[in-house]
Amino acid sequence: MKKGGAAPLVTGVSPKEGPPGTRITIRGENLGCDIKDFIGLKICGVDCILSAEWKSPSKIIARSGPGKGKGDVIVITRTGGVGSCTVGFKGYFVQIGPLQDSAIWIDESQTVSIRHGRTQSPIFSKEDEDPLGISDEGNQAKFKEEELLEMFPDASGNMALQNFSPAWYLLENHHDTSFEDMKAGLAYMKRRATQRSEGPIAFVKSNLSSTLDCMESLDALHQQYCADDLRGDSVNQYAVLLMQAKSCADGLFKEVLGRKDKADSTRNALSVLQRFKFLFYLPLNIKRNIEKGDYNLVINDYVRARSLFAETQVQVFKKVYNEVERNIGEFREMLQQKLMELPNPLDEQKKLIRYLLSLECEGDPAWECLVNMQQWLTGILCTCKEDHIKEEQMSQTESEASMLKSPVSHMSIDTPKGKRRETNTSFKSTLSPDQSGWKFNTPQKILFIEELTDIMLENFPSFWKLGQAYFSGSLFVNVKENSERPQKTDSSKHSKFKQMVTDVISLFSNLVRAAFLPKSLENTPEENRKEFGIWRDNKQEIPGAWLPSGVRYVRNCVSSLSLLDLPGDCPTLIQDLALDMRTDCMVTLLKQAISDVKQLHLKETWAVETDDESGGTTQLPALFENIVNETIQHLHEVVVQNKVGEPEIFSQRTVQKDATVLCTQLLQAFAPCIHSLAFNPPFHSPEKSNSLPILTAEGKGTLGKDKVPVTDKRLIIMLSNCNHTMVRVIPRLVENLNKHGYVEMNKALRAAQDTYEDLDDSLFEAYVEEKSNPIVGAIEQNMYKGGFSWKTCGKPSGVRNYLKQVIMHMIEVHAEVFAVSPVFVTRVTQKVIEQVSEEFTRVIQCVTDHGKYGPVQARLELMALQETVSLYLTPHASKCFKEALGDLPEVKTEDRKLSEELLNKFKSQMKFQMMCFYGDSILRNSSEA
Amino acid sequence: MFSCWTRRQKANMSKAKATQPQVIHKVIMVGSGGVGKSALTLQFMYDEFVEDYEPTKADSYRKKVVLDGEEVQIDILDTAGQEDYAAIRDNYFRSGEGFLCVFSITEQESFQATADFREQILRVKNDDNIPFLLVGNKADLEEKRQVTVDEAQQRAQQWSVPYVETSAKTRANVDKVFYDLMREIRSRKMEATRQSNGKPKKKKEKRRKCTLL
Ligand SMILES: Nc1nc2c(ncn2[C@@H]2O[C@H](COP(=O)(O)OP(=O)(O)OP(=O)(O)O)[C@@H](O)[C@H]2O)c(=O)[nH]1
Ligand SMILES: [Mg+2]
Repeated sequence: MKKGGAAPLVTGVSPKEGPPGTRITIRGENLGCDIKDFIGLKICGVDCILSAEWKSPSKIIARSGPGKGKGDVIVITRTGGVGSCTVGFKGYFVQIGPLQDSAIWIDESQTVSIRHGRTQSPIFSKEDEDPLGISDEGNQAKFKEEELLEMFPDASGNMALQNFSPAWYLLENHHDTSFEDMKAGLAYMKRRATQRSEGPIAFVKSNLSSTLDCMESLDALHQQYCADDLRGDSVNQYAVLLMQAKSCADGLFKEVLGRKDKADSTRNALSVLQRFKFLFYLPLNIKRNIEKGDYNLVINDYVRARSLFAETQVQVFKKVYNEVERNIGEFREMLQQKLMELPNPLDEQKKLIRYLLSLECEGDPAWECLVNMQQWLTGILCTCKEDHIKEEQMSQTESEASMLKSPVSHMSIDTPKGKRRETNTSFKSTLSPDQSGWKFNTPQKILFIEELTDIMLENFPSFWKLGQAYFSGSLFVNVKENSERPQKTDSSKHSKFKQMVTDVISLFSNLVRAAFLPKSLENTPEENRKEFGIWRDNKQEIPGAWLPSGVRYVRNCVSSLSLLDLPGDCPTLIQDLALDMRTDCMVTLLKQAISDVKQLHLKETWAVETDDESGGTTQLPALFENIVNETIQHLHEVVVQNKVGEPEIFSQRTVQKDATVLCTQLLQAFAPCIHSLAFNPPFHSPEKSNSLPILTAEGKGTLGKDKVPVTDKRLIIMLSNCNHTMVRVIPRLVENLNKHGYVEMNKALRAAQDTYEDLDDSLFEAYVEEKSNPIVGAIEQNMYKGGFSWKTCGKPSGVRNYLKQVIMHMIEVHAEVFAVSPVFVTRVTQKVIEQVSEEFTRVIQCVTDHGKYGPVQARLELMALQETVSLYLTPHASKCFKEALGDLPEVKTEDRKLSEELLNKFKSQMKFQMMCFYGDSILRNSSEA
Repeated sequence: MFSCWTRRQKANMSKAKATQPQVIHKVIMVGSGGVGKSALTLQFMYDEFVEDYEPTKADSYRKKVVLDGEEVQIDILDTAGQEDYAAIRDNYFRSGEGFLCVFSITEQESFQATADFREQILRVKNDDNIPFLLVGNKADLEEKRQVTVDEAQQRAQQWSVPYVETSAKTRANVDKVFYDLMREIRSRKMEATRQSNGKPKKKKEKRRKCTLL
């Protein structure tokens, strides 16, 4: 017992008195803080805890025990100990006579036994026990029996006895009662007495035992008389009287006895009902429980009823049992119907099957369910396909119709705001889905594959698992007694089921193939192909960006299905499907990218952006890089990430080869673009070009509107693009490809670089030719302008203008290159200077007859040119100069001095022009550092 | 007779538990079935309202209360309203010191029945001034009222008893009826004590007589 709890206190009892077994509501305080705390209950000293029901700390309901008289109601709790009470309970025994009205059912066997012992214990009603109607509230200190005996030696307090003494009785029971109360008691007794004398029946009723006593005594007397009185005359009289008394008594009780008979038969019927209540209520209960969905209960009840009543011969039972059977029959049908309704969660199905088995349904419900499921699954897969094909055809005719209506915007969709959004049909493919209002445009096939895989994922696992459960026998746990049952899962069904599973899987695979990989079905017969669906279009319909999501659906589905441990070819079937989808997606996307890249030349705007890293380029190389990178991105998931159980995409040698070839092609695909732009550009100008300033941001020379730059400009721009592509873009792309797991990319890199190097060479050559030809061609002509002759020329006065012109031309070239791409300056200038030097020296060397001053002039001019371009001299150019100088005849010392002077004069004159070459070299050096 | 009873009680109680208040006022609930006698009692005793109707046979409640600063015990006998139990009423009435005669304002018959109850009480107690309150219960069901305040008041005046309307549901006037009745019982007892103190001998004689009988 814990300390500190307040002791229980009972302050109310309802009712306050009653026979044993009275249901009493006890109220009070601290009757236990919970049901565990309440550990004892005593009513009139009798422990009643067993019948007690703890309701709350202030309320307990219990039944009284066999305690008699007034007593306490004591509650005991763990925390509060033994309690007290302010009110009590009075227990009394009631004996209900055979003729008394009673609200409760009375065991009459007891009445009968009392009747036999009636002489010893005459029956008193309650009022007889307390004839004055004064409650014994005040009976505290009673007189002891000995005391009373002393006072009334010959008397007794028992009203039934002859020597009954009212004084004894009053002293015993009411010695403390006031006079007032006594008077009231007397009045009460008088009232009762008048009630009693109300009629013979009332009298007999309330004195039944005495009456019976009389009857029996008379009977005994009669017999005695008959025995004693031999004459018998005197007896007759009595006999007649007795007979009369008897018939009178019988008459009195006829009604009562009839009622008793009726009561007996009612009671019999009731007890039968009670005993077989279960069966009689069963039809109703079955219905109710079915409604409630409590199928287990229904089945249990039924099994019980069957074992009890199936063989019954009793008509009533038969009737009811037949109804039960009928209900169960309907129930069975309902279950079967439910089982055939799909889709249905696996657990639900298993439950239904078990129910059906426990109801001993004919046939093999599980197998029927499996067959039904397979048909259903096949059905919805095919319906899904047909719906989507139809849908696609409809949208196609629609789009065709709208194309007819508005030929300008090929396919326009009205957005909610009413603006028309154009779908770019000329450059779809790798555009990301959201660029073209994808919500509206999700390709039908993608919708199809999404739904199809959903259907598979939602339903196939249940189907397979149900099958497994069927064959493992786990559906039969409930009917172990039936030993022949499990053998029903015969092996022929096993292989049938395997076939069913394979059928579904291959149907699924073929449906997907028909939509996405129609080529892989080419070997299947025509009619089968029709079954799998003929999709109108070819792959080009699906924008590349959508393919990977299609692949994703298939792969997710396949990987879930792979976890199922499917039999036979199924794993291979679906794995192949996934791999084929991946490969197809990769090939398609790469091919699309290649064709996109090949179209890039249409997008050239000729706007050159210069930056330190790459020199001047147009946007084209970046576009190229974007296309490739986006493709790689789209393919990322498809190519690189492997799900559990999936093979590496590149583990297949053919796939690997294809991929490498395609990647190489993709990397090379840009070269033709550059080539065509440089040598024969498309003359319709691409979009946007008209609004953008052409050439450099520095604004040196702009091209006219709608004009493609002239050849030499184009060449140098494309040269720059090509070089940038080769040096920066391609390595970056290859690195990215490598990172994403594409194999043999070094080979692709080499091939691509070769391509771009070749292109570079041809562009360079063409450009240099373009630039140096005019200069070189003019040298000889200009050298001899104005009838100049090496033989007859006078004393040189300085470097002649033609050479200055040559230098100016070279500066021009230099500037042009610098404007487009500073990195090329050295390369181009060197090449041009080399050619100029070659030509110049050649012309000089051709002179056969030098006059007096000819060599001096020639030397001066050679030196001047050499000095000017000294920083760009290639070994070949230097050699040319050396040979030319060497071939000149000896010059006198004074002439040499002269030429030196003149050279210096030239240098100071041409200081600014020459700075172009010098300043530039500083820039070049710094950029190389 | 009251003093006699109380004195005995006092002796017993002091034996059992010294802290128990000595004075006990015995209240009896009378009235037709379903008028709310038990509901009033339970509301007074335990502050709870019972929605379900469970006919009473005879319930007994007793607890300590503070009546005008004095600690006393109230003993409530909740009797049966149902006719089935009418026979056992006489016995119970005899022990009561005060009566709450309850009817439901929503049921005219229950109001009519109060006259019979009153008659029976007066017959059993043989005392016209017995502490008695006419209680019109279910006052919260005003919309179903069948007994007007006027007719109830008129009857109360005729009997020279107070009339109070209560609601066991809302607890309106519940404490009032019990406390008012206890006050009347108390003043009746004091009167009786004064009288008996004036003629102590008579009482003793009576007692002896009883014993002699
Ligand atoms: N609305 C309302 N209902 C009440 C009120 N008092 C009692 N009731 C309801 O009336 C019904 C009978 O109440 P009881 O207190 O059991 O009636 P009773 O007078 O004890 O009846 P017997 O024990 O048969 O004599 C119950 O359902 C109570 O909930 C009240 O003041 N207002
Ligand atoms: Mg009641």
